[in-house]
Amino acid sequence: MLLQISWRNIWRNKTRSFVVICSIIIGLWAGIFILAFAWGLYQNNIDDTVYRQLSHIQIHNPLFTKENESKYTISNSDEILQKLQSNKNVASVSSRVITLGMISSPTNASGIKIFGINPLVEKTQIVLNENVRQGAYFETGKENEILIGEKLAKKLKIKLKSKVVLTFTNIDNEIITAAFRVGGLYRSKNISLDEVNVYVQKNELVNLLGLQDSESNEIAILLKNEEQLDSMKIFSSSLVPKGKVEDWKTLSPELGMVIESFNLYTYIITGIILLALTFGIVNTMLMSVLERFRELGMLMAIGLNKSKIFVMILLETLYLTLMGCPIGLLIGWLSVNFFEKHGINISMFSEGLAAYGFSSIIYTSLDNQKYMIVAIMYFITALLSAIYPAYKALQLNPSEAIRKI
Amino acid sequence: MVKTIIDAHNISKIYDKKMVPIMALQDVHLHIEEGEFVALVGPSGSGKSTLLNMIGGLDDPTNGSVIVDGVEITKLRENKLIDFRLRNIGFVFQSFNLIPVLTAKENIGFVLQLQNVSKKEREKRVMELLHQVGLEDKENSKPGELSGGQQQRVAVARALASKPKIILADEPTANLDTKAAENLLDIMAKLNKEEKITFLFSTHDARVIKKARRVITLVDGKVDSDVQQIPD
Repeated sequence: MLLQISWRNIWRNKTRSFVVICSIIIGLWAGIFILAFAWGLYQNNIDDTVYRQLSHIQIHNPLFTKENESKYTISNSDEILQKLQSNKNVASVSSRVITLGMISSPTNASGIKIFGINPLVEKTQIVLNENVRQGAYFETGKENEILIGEKLAKKLKIKLKSKVVLTFTNIDNEIITAAFRVGGLYRSKNISLDEVNVYVQKNELVNLLGLQDSESNEIAILLKNEEQLDSMKIFSSSLVPKGKVEDWKTLSPELGMVIESFNLYTYIITGIILLALTFGIVNTMLMSVLERFRELGMLMAIGLNKSKIFVMILLETLYLTLMGCPIGLLIGWLSVNFFEKHGINISMFSEGLAAYGFSSIIYTSLDNQKYMIVAIMYFITALLSAIYPAYKALQLNPSEAIRKI
Repeated sequence: MVKTIIDAHNISKIYDKKMVPIMALQDVHLHIEEGEFVALVGPSGSGKSTLLNMIGGLDDPTNGSVIVDGVEITKLRENKLIDFRLRNIGFVFQSFNLIPVLTAKENIGFVLQLQNVSKKEREKRVMELLHQVGLEDKENSKPGELSGGQQQRVAVARALASKPKIILADEPTANLDTKAAENLLDIMAKLNKEEKITFLFSTHDARVIKKARRVITLVDGKVDSDVQQIPD
């Protein structure tokens, strides 16, 4: 009976019900889309960090991470590489030599981090070759070739094929100066790193530092599946018992901070949408209650108790929500799926975002569980919003309500 | 022996409007027996509707007590009072007051549904009542599709649905034309006579007053006169 009356009541003012349903649809869609956009942004950022910078796991000599001196190496890195490569969970593994130094051009100088890499391996490891914008990726075969970021080149006022001088200390703490020729300029999605990281061939840097061929400062492991992260960390620790084995989350705490702050913004925006939805529903349902004061008074007079009046008002909101939520979910799901395939181009903001390591094309992403969480949140908010109007209905004195015009 | 159906003692009602107390009823005593057909008359603001509301349990008196069919309703808790009203008192209001989204049949059946009467029994009773008020052919019409007189007849049928002992009607003919008003009064008088239902109605309408067997006049919240008469 109450179900029937409530259902018919919502169609007494079709426009008003339509507006409430639309506000639920738009609110739910907006909530889903903002979450999907934020998750897409984080995922993109995480993928960039893992697949283009850090890899899933890195192994260092513990003193290297503390002192940042290249003399602290993993001594038998070739043997460890072989063992890791033979593991079925490993997609790619590379060893690097790293030192801090200075790069100088005829007009300027800058502090840098020099990576000695195996160019062939890094093509699959951090796909550095795909970031090359000018020149080539170690294709001349010359040992003194260097790959630097476009931003650093601009700062040093140098071009492709310009000569630069690297200065750093070797393992015996002697100052080493070596001339390199710029073979390529790269641009990654993380502009701040582009200004610092330079890449040379590992053999050349090993020789200049005075290290053994089998030594390296860093072993980076890219996994086939991130779910294997914990087990592979254990496996890696067993290979290098004295090494420091860290995953990307530990290596890049700033990424966690960025994600955390974006999460906060996401919650704030979702909260604002929910608040707007709440006000919309409270306003509409209150209007609906106030204009039916006399009718509600009559219902009380003929025997409908207050709890049933309360339930009736809640049912009306429930119906509107039940109509709005599935449509909002469907539109949200469709739009998330569309932009998951085609991406959203935010290039007009990309320079600013790139400073935080974000890409200019965001692919939305949201798992099924989050759809349900958002839908349940909106559902509960909508029902809670109806409590105040329903409570107002309970304040009625039937004899006064009946007399109202 | 005739049974007392309504017994009101020393009823007073004071409304506090903008801190100014307004005495709507002053020490009203009322004694109505089962099967009476009583008109409550008086000028606007004399306390007719207030008295009906007190008797119907829609409002609490400031002082005094109301006993309906042996139950002191002024002492009942809200839910018990609603239940008592549902089973013992039928209401007919001035402005029809039907549920606009329900058909005539559903409006009448609504009260029975509140009493958990089975669907079969409910339908039977609803059709009986529609027949009594002469609206069998309007069972599926919504209030908006009915005339004022027809709506008021549906309201009477709804008031009768739970077979109440009393029907309280507040200005039932105020919004009706002469023909519709007479028709409604005939139905009410017939029900009173045949089913011994007690009718107490407030009115200004001389046509209604003529049909009553007892006329109580209220002036300034007090009973001014209480006379028996032979109805037209």
